[in-house]
Amino acid sequence: MQDMIELHDISHHFDTASERIGLFQGLSCTIRANETLAIVGPSGAGKSSLLSIAAGLEVPAGGTVCFTIDGVPVDALTMRANSGFIFQQFHLMPELDAIGNLALPLRLKGNRHAFDIAALWLDKIGLKDRARHRPHQLSGGEQQRIAVTRAFVTAPRFIFADEPTGNLDMHTSESVAELMFGCARETGCGLVIVTHSKPLARRADASLHLSAGRLEAAA
Amino acid sequence: MSWFKLILENSWRDLRMGDGRISLATQTVLLFFLMTLTLSSASIQNYLAGNLDQMLGSDLVVESHAPLKSEDEIALRSLAQRVSVTQLIDITVTHKNEWARVKLKLIDDAYPMQGNLQVGDTPVATQRAVNKGPAIGEVWLEPRLAGQLQMQVGDILTIGGTELRLGAILFHEPDRIMEGHSTALRAMVHTGSLKAGSIDRGNSLTRYLASADESQQIAVESWARDALAGANVIKKIGGQHPLASFWQRTENFLGLASVILFFMGAVALDMTNRRWLAKMRYRLAIYASFGVRTSTAMLMALGEWLIGFLLSALLAALLAIFACGLIVGQLQGQFPGLQTSWHWVAALKTVGLVFLLLIALQIPSFLQLSRASLLSLIRNPAEGSFVWHRLVWSFLSVALLAAAYSDNWLLTGLTLSAIAAALALMVALTWTFVRLGDLWGRRRTGLLPFAFFMMRQRLFAKSAQVLGLGLCGLLLLFTLMLMRDLGATMESHSRSHDGNLMISDARSDQIDGIHRWAAQTGSTVRTLRPFVPAQLVAVNGKSLDEFQKPSDTLATLQDPIRLSWAKDMPRNNRLVGGKWWPTDTANWQQISAEPEVMTDMGFSYGDVLTFRINGKSYDFNLAASHAYKPGAGSITFWFQVPLSARAQIDAATHHMGSMELPETAWDALAQLWQQYPTLSLVPLKELTERFDQTLGIVTKLTTGYAAMVLLLALFVLAASISGFSADDRQKNGLLMSMGLKGTDCLRLNLYEWGGTALIAAAGAVAGTWIAGRLIYQAQFNLAYDPDILWVAAMVFTMIITVCLVGYIACRHSLNVSVRTLMTT
Repeated sequence: MQDMIELHDISHHFDTASERIGLFQGLSCTIRANETLAIVGPSGAGKSSLLSIAAGLEVPAGGTVCFTIDGVPVDALTMRANSGFIFQQFHLMPELDAIGNLALPLRLKGNRHAFDIAALWLDKIGLKDRARHRPHQLSGGEQQRIAVTRAFVTAPRFIFADEPTGNLDMHTSESVAELMFGCARETGCGLVIVTHSKPLARRADASLHLSAGRLEAAA
Repeated sequence: MSWFKLILENSWRDLRMGDGRISLATQTVLLFFLMTLTLSSASIQNYLAGNLDQMLGSDLVVESHAPLKSEDEIALRSLAQRVSVTQLIDITVTHKNEWARVKLKLIDDAYPMQGNLQVGDTPVATQRAVNKGPAIGEVWLEPRLAGQLQMQVGDILTIGGTELRLGAILFHEPDRIMEGHSTALRAMVHTGSLKAGSIDRGNSLTRYLASADESQQIAVESWARDALAGANVIKKIGGQHPLASFWQRTENFLGLASVILFFMGAVALDMTNRRWLAKMRYRLAIYASFGVRTSTAMLMALGEWLIGFLLSALLAALLAIFACGLIVGQLQGQFPGLQTSWHWVAALKTVGLVFLLLIALQIPSFLQLSRASLLSLIRNPAEGSFVWHRLVWSFLSVALLAAAYSDNWLLTGLTLSAIAAALALMVALTWTFVRLGDLWGRRRTGLLPFAFFMMRQRLFAKSAQVLGLGLCGLLLLFTLMLMRDLGATMESHSRSHDGNLMISDARSDQIDGIHRWAAQTGSTVRTLRPFVPAQLVAVNGKSLDEFQKPSDTLATLQDPIRLSWAKDMPRNNRLVGGKWWPTDTANWQQISAEPEVMTDMGFSYGDVLTFRINGKSYDFNLAASHAYKPGAGSITFWFQVPLSARAQIDAATHHMGSMELPETAWDALAQLWQQYPTLSLVPLKELTERFDQTLGIVTKLTTGYAAMVLLLALFVLAASISGFSADDRQKNGLLMSMGLKGTDCLRLNLYEWGGTALIAAAGAVAGTWIAGRLIYQAQFNLAYDPDILWVAAMVFTMIITVCLVGYIACRHSLNVSVRTLMTT
């Protein structure tokens, strides 16, 4: 496998004013591109922290994280340049319309045909007629569909999704999940999802359960 | 290209929003003010440089307050190719019952050295060029003077007992640079026309106009530096216009004024920065989620800020060109032939300076921005408000700007100290008010206790808001008050002077004549203080030319000042520092100086000041410092020495003082002047006119300045409301969702804004009081006595304005539905 993330013996904690709260210890796992992985578990177990560490956003308190792109070990910065993110709160730019949001990552990467590509994607996800609408003029489901597409539009090697359907109803969640997994399959990128939703986790190739500082394969 | 387009689009979108517009307007106003100042100054400097080249009337001028000794004059003539000697004497000339104070120029046969004189036969006649001055027995008068004395060519004018025929109307002198820009009336005679001793030449200014090549000019300059203490050399090559340092000081004063404006601008920008920062952090975090590196995103943020700045600079430049045209039009009376022109280097330097200052103010925001993380989109990490960092950084930047611009360290120091003290006071007031209010409200119900609770929760944000508004109020209040008091004082000073005729310079032998004339006409001599003209030439052996930093004091000390003597401390003076001499001290080499002189010149007690008096040098030890005390006459001196020093000084005694003339005595004045042409008397009416002229200019300047301060105060208010409107919207939405009515929200907001305005106004008044106490006495010799009613009215206006604007903003935010409020 050419692209992967290896976590070895990872431990993490965070400090409050009065105490240190341990999250997990001795966790190890390997995440590969072309695979989808769901991380489930109760609130406060450290799922988002584990996602941040895997994405190279945070350095773990203990253990090592190795990133490999095209078979070559790379640092966290290079890893992040090849990653995309999907958030629970969608986080679209409020001042940009739908097509502007979708074209933004392409434009930042210097793509001259950003708006043409964005228009094709909008058509593909059925929101062509919403191209000129601002985020506050779109429903939650529509916003998240655009956010999901925006993460995939630059063809990253990995996508990290933090509770991507946490703000959506069941029906909308289904359609967003369909879109997300469909895009992952189509582009061949690795997808790591943190979620409370069992139906969403079941869609992944593998599912890990994080609880009481232990990481186990979920049933 | 794609990035550049994105940066442009982002900038454009940001500038169209409320905060963006306020930032843009603030930056534009600051740049406009400084660029107008720069362009006007550059036009004047350019004019002065060209003027020096064309209007020196010779290659070099040596200027001295006493004629050179014959051996020095011989040395000068040997160093230069040709020399012409001119003398300037202030006298009063009379014709029938008309009189006028005149600068009389005595010239020799070699005059003019370069260029021509322009003369005519009547004040409105066609001018003709002549290359010789008036012949012996002739006098030439400038058109205004001829008009004032009601004289025509051919009439006879008596000066110092000599009858002189008005030979021509004098329009222009080629060495005008030495005369020009002064509004004094001018007359010219040949030096051979006046008999020796017919007029007193003791108080004259002698000029040696010389033609010399470059090496000779250098030789003369170097010789004069060593041989002629107190003499001034002005060269055509590499020389500096006599007015250049005056203008530089004016620029420095305006610079300090711009520091205050910059302070207000910094407050407005800091308030809009709050929202800008939040937006940029969000933007950068989203960019990071696309894999954009922090350094790249930071560069983009910098680029967006830069575009805003460039747009401000462009708008400001257009406005400044227009304003500069208006100002130059106004100044043409003072600088004839002055024209507006575009000065790229000067304009770019100003833009560069403002750029550096604005970027310095932006540094704390950029530092916070560099910490923007993608993690903030996943969870909400705790963030410091960095209020103190921003405040200290802003204060330091502005203090540095003040240091760079101001030549008056005392004024700068006092202004900054007053601002710092007011800021500290406002912080203390805010914390005390809010904490005590919260404590009071803990076991109470109702909206007011809740308002205190909310303010306590947002104490840092509230402090920033109070500091911004309070500082703005302080600067506004102080500027308006100073404007009002300075104008009122100038006006009252001109009218409350003891007597209605000021004796500005009378020789000892003229005093008896004055007393006799007073007795004859029923006039009274009110005060008379003796002095000798003395020029400070060195301090601790270091020549005055080596003092680099220009100041009003240094400029005044370039010419002779009035050195007085006193046995005891004069009744209208008080001791500020050092030790005043015992009544009958034998140690005559002591001197006392005014505190402002000591500060501006950096004097310390024990310094040895060398004065040139009537061609001889005298050393005095700086022993004391005295300041003016109102109530016992208005005549005071910068320097005073013990009475015992008078016997050691070989120079004629002069007097200054005041007289009270009855209405009938005015017509007899011409008689007194005919007897003593060099007697310098200034009628109160003339003094009032001069004051009114100065007051007119001061009023124009301060009104323009106050308009700028008011404009920036409005920006600060707008920024304050806009910067905190999101918080207020969210708070109102939450409260309404909990069942509170719209009117309750309005009342709550009114309590908050009222509290904020009250603390800010209290801080502003206290700050103004501190600034008044510190600055009024030290800088303007005014006793600080604020008009309580006026201050109360200003405070009331301030509170009402802030509350009203806050109320309107709140009403506006309440018009939005709860659902929308909740989603913001």
